Amino acid sequence: MDDLYLILATLAFLGGFVLAAVSWRRDEDRPHGLNIPIAITGLVFQSLFLQVRGEMHGRCPITNGAEVLVFVSWSIVIMYLALGRAFRLSLLGVFSMPIVFLFQLFAIIYLAVDDPGPRPPAHLDPWLELHAAMSLLAYGAFGLAGIAGVMYLVQDRQLKSHKPGRLFYSLPPIRYLATALVRLLAIGTILLSVGIVAAFFMEVKPTPLHLLVSGAVWLAYALLLAVHAWRRLPPKRLSLSSIGAFAFALATLSVL
Amino acid sequence: MSIFCLGVNHKTAPVEIRERLAISEHSVPAHLGEICAIEGVDEAVVLSTCNRVEIYGAAADPAAALDRLVAYLESHFAVASGEVEFYRHADEAAAHHLFEVASGLDSMVLGETEIFGQVKKAYALAQENGRTARRMNKLFQQSFSVGKLVRSGTSIQQGSTSVGSAAVDLAEKIFGKLDHCRVMIIGAGEMSRTTAQSLLSRGARSIIVSNRSHDKAVELAAELKGEAVRFDDWESKLDHVDIIVSSTSAPHAVVQASAIRRVMERRRGHSLFLIDIAVPRDIEEEVNEIDNVYLYNIDQLQQIANEGKSRRERQIAVCRDLIAAFLREKGIEALAGVPDERGPKGPVGSDPGGKRSDTPGRPLPQP
Repeated sequence: MDDLYLILATLAFLGGFVLAAVSWRRDEDRPHGLNIPIAITGLVFQSLFLQVRGEMHGRCPITNGAEVLVFVSWSIVIMYLALGRAFRLSLLGVFSMPIVFLFQLFAIIYLAVDDPGPRPPAHLDPWLELHAAMSLLAYGAFGLAGIAGVMYLVQDRQLKSHKPGRLFYSLPPIRYLATALVRLLAIGTILLSVGIVAAFFMEVKPTPLHLLVSGAVWLAYALLLAVHAWRRLPPKRLSLSSIGAFAFALATLSVL
Repeated sequence: MSIFCLGVNHKTAPVEIRERLAISEHSVPAHLGEICAIEGVDEAVVLSTCNRVEIYGAAADPAAALDRLVAYLESHFAVASGEVEFYRHADEAAAHHLFEVASGLDSMVLGETEIFGQVKKAYALAQENGRTARRMNKLFQQSFSVGKLVRSGTSIQQGSTSVGSAAVDLAEKIFGKLDHCRVMIIGAGEMSRTTAQSLLSRGARSIIVSNRSHDKAVELAAELKGEAVRFDDWESKLDHVDIIVSSTSAPHAVVQASAIRRVMERRRGHSLFLIDIAVPRDIEEEVNEIDNVYLYNIDQLQQIANEGKSRRERQIAVCRDLIAAFLREKGIEALAGVPDERGPKGPVGSDPGGKRSDTPGRPLPQP
């Protein structure tokens, strides 16, 4: 059943991706009205997948690469639905769909090739669960910050080139994008801080490598925010940094 | 009973004719009364704007009613017989025309939104004066639905159509709402004033004006409720402005890239938008290469305006399809089938013939 939920969620995000591409090809000025319902549908199937896997393991379903990818993409979707409208970034969903779809696709391939099956813990540690859940939610916020960074760079390029393209009228003002980017970085850093603090209370202490990698990700984002608060990084540099930092954070998932 | 439309607009009549036919708001009630008193005319709405004068109404025999209406207009507005070519539409064609008008498709600036409010106002005025009944009520209510549908379902409003609106649209794509933006005008020419007024109309917070002739700067600043600064001092104010509009007649660059670089170091990541509408150009081209600084000259703005116009024109077919689909679904048949609710020639005319047109969209004989 979990496979079916995963496939249905992936198909929903593929639908969102295709819809966004078609809207763009048709020169439509705003995200398609089905964008939000599609994101919600995908989120529901993702949640069902994670629930089934969670029940199977008897703990937070992040026991293998596929589950981690689904959890991160679930976090991105939930962050978008929770914050996208508040930050006046309806198009964030359109930009998120391809990434979420790709994560889901990798997860399907991963499970098709090698599904490790149930991995119930010897003993359920709530601190471990909190650590894992907060950290991956933080990755969702960082992912969305990276996407906002891409949107900023696209809009900046269009403004600089003096030739507004198709996306120009649909994308939000660059000031809003820069503000949303900083807020998403801050939200992600706070969530990751909670996750790291929770790790210190875990019954089984994290490995030095785990600590080192988590600390490096936290440090990268904390430094980025600190430098921005101190020197006011130009939005373009901040966008590039947030994209780079998310790529680094994603790379660390393979180690974790 | 048919609905009809009679009128002239910017495409069919020059301004000299339109201004003679224009009906001021305060005289509309009287004209509505006289129009409804014309034999065969039931219900009337007068839409009079700077670009059009149109009369919508209902009549059992629209061709005859329109002939009498033309005679009325010619006698009341000092127009010689045959001097003006009024367009005449009946039934579906009349509804389609009103829907296009309300959607901004028939406007001088394609897709503009002001006309929607003007149509609403014209209808409200007729309604307040008891000159509308079910047909006009339904027709105009439908036109409001279509207007909203077209605006929300197409890109007809999208894209700038003039240099001024291109500048303002770009400013909004950089800063979002302009209510926190301060504007500096360098050179107190006509183009500067127009652009500044456009920015103020969209909410720009304050204006600083600088000009070689300080008296002119003071004059323009007073007109725009802004502040005048001496030409030697404008650089010192750069830290506090978000938008610079430059249009001096200087033969050399007034705004140097080095000055903007220095300013940007102090602006803590805030964007700067520069609009150079001077020829020869006032602002060094290298300014656009500075991070977070956006420079547009008059040609680039004009190009955006041209693209905006083309973009809107490409949407016309989509809009017309929407209107046609709306008319197919719940348009003219519903209007034609509306029973009367009034007696003959009350405050609002009635349907003396009691007949309804069974030929939607039939062409009316043009004079």
